[in-house]
Amino acid sequence: MRREKEKKSRLFKWAAICFAVVFSFFLADFLMGEPRVPERAVGSIPFDHALHGDSIGLDCAACHTGSRASANAFMPSKADCMDCHRLPLTENPGIETLDSVLAKADDRPWSHKRHLPDHVVFHHGVHAAAGVACADCHGRGYMQNRYGAELFNMQSCLKCHRGETFKEKGFKPAATYCAACHR
Amino acid sequence: MGMDRREFIKSCSLVAVMGLLFGCRKIPLEELAGDLPSLKRFEDEVKLALSQAKKSLDLVKIPTPGALKIPGASTLNRFGMAIDLDSCDGCGKCILACNLENNVPLVPNEDAARGRFMHWVDMRGSAPFMCAHCGNAPCERVCPTGAANHTPDGLSAMMYKRCTGSRFCGANCPVQARKFNFNDAQKLGLARQFNREVPLRDKGVMEKCSLCLHRLQNDRLKFKTSLTVGETAEEWRGRGVKTACAEACPKNAIIFGNWLDEKSPLVKLTKNRVLYAPRELADLDPSVVFMRGRR
Repeated sequence: MRREKEKKSRLFKWAAICFAVVFSFFLADFLMGEPRVPERAVGSIPFDHALHGDSIGLDCAACHTGSRASANAFMPSKADCMDCHRLPLTENPGIETLDSVLAKADDRPWSHKRHLPDHVVFHHGVHAAAGVACADCHGRGYMQNRYGAELFNMQSCLKCHRGETFKEKGFKPAATYCAACHR
Repeated sequence: MGMDRREFIKSCSLVAVMGLLFGCRKIPLEELAGDLPSLKRFEDEVKLALSQAKKSLDLVKIPTPGALKIPGASTLNRFGMAIDLDSCDGCGKCILACNLENNVPLVPNEDAARGRFMHWVDMRGSAPFMCAHCGNAPCERVCPTGAANHTPDGLSAMMYKRCTGSRFCGANCPVQARKFNFNDAQKLGLARQFNREVPLRDKGVMEKCSLCLHRLQNDRLKFKTSLTVGETAEEWRGRGVKTACAEACPKNAIIFGNWLDEKSPLVKLTKNRVLYAPRELADLDPSVVFMRGRR
């Protein structure tokens, strides 16, 4: 009887240690782990791409101001939102909540850390100027406020640069020598 | 006073949590210490290198570099430099400018005493000496991974992430223009990223003059996004770009430009000059040449 009790308590001790280790891993990951997807519109403003994109025909570059001409696409500042939202735009009752949230939001409600390593050159504007549409690389995922950054690697760059993908679009084959994109 | 089981498990898990939290930090330990080398150390190292400079430079006459003779070469661009030996006084400002532009690391004292610097620009015969970006580059032929390769516009480029550190290229370069990272400069606190445009190199990677590749890349991208009517992206000639050393030279003795562009300062200023190259490179079609005297 006593032996059994001792056995039980030893088992309990090991279970507790296992739990502590697993729990500490989860806790550490929760506190310090990098988010798998870069920071999105999860800030203070409930933003919906679908409402702004196809439904009212707003171009991506209206908010991501650098996407057509500059190296980075940029995230919009609050001022970019207020360009349109200064006026009550719809009779949708949700808009009042939005107005109050917008009033409280800070000047740069969104931030996006670029996941490009520093030995890689990528210029957003050059690709847009060559006629590549936003959805060609980013997919339609952004419509659900999801972003496809994890899909990008050198393989996908090279396939398109060699002219293997997007054949129907008729892009010109682009440079494939190393120093075109690497430094 | 003994510790009961509950207390013991508690303290164990606390230690485990703290260790994991420490392990998950984003900043490496060395950066927490914050010991980046000062600018003064870079300046002192250049002075030391100048005092140890080789005195001789064996030059032979060469014709003006023309279009590259490699497959896929551009017929519009071939970048290069000419170093005017008549105006250069060997002040060494180009070396410091290059080091700061390209984040060239310092070397430990014992290496410095033996003259083994990482400087992409050396002083030889009291004139700056760097990779000549040979059109027929012997270093690229022996690279087992293709890390050393040629761009269509005449740069002998180095892909650091591809380099496995065989050092064959360094052995096959007749003028020792290539520098090998024997030390982990970042770990030793000898590297500092002055310029965000240029990545730091790891231990076991070969490096050398890139002819300020990043400046050319940036200019090309800028040109492509600001095309005027009737211009195409293929017409980029790299006009207006200067390397860091050319920019820093107080005597304008280093001239950067495009050998195939009539409007380039390089073509204009070398027109009536006699061009020279180091004897070892004369047959290898160098892009970086020396000039002295008038024709």
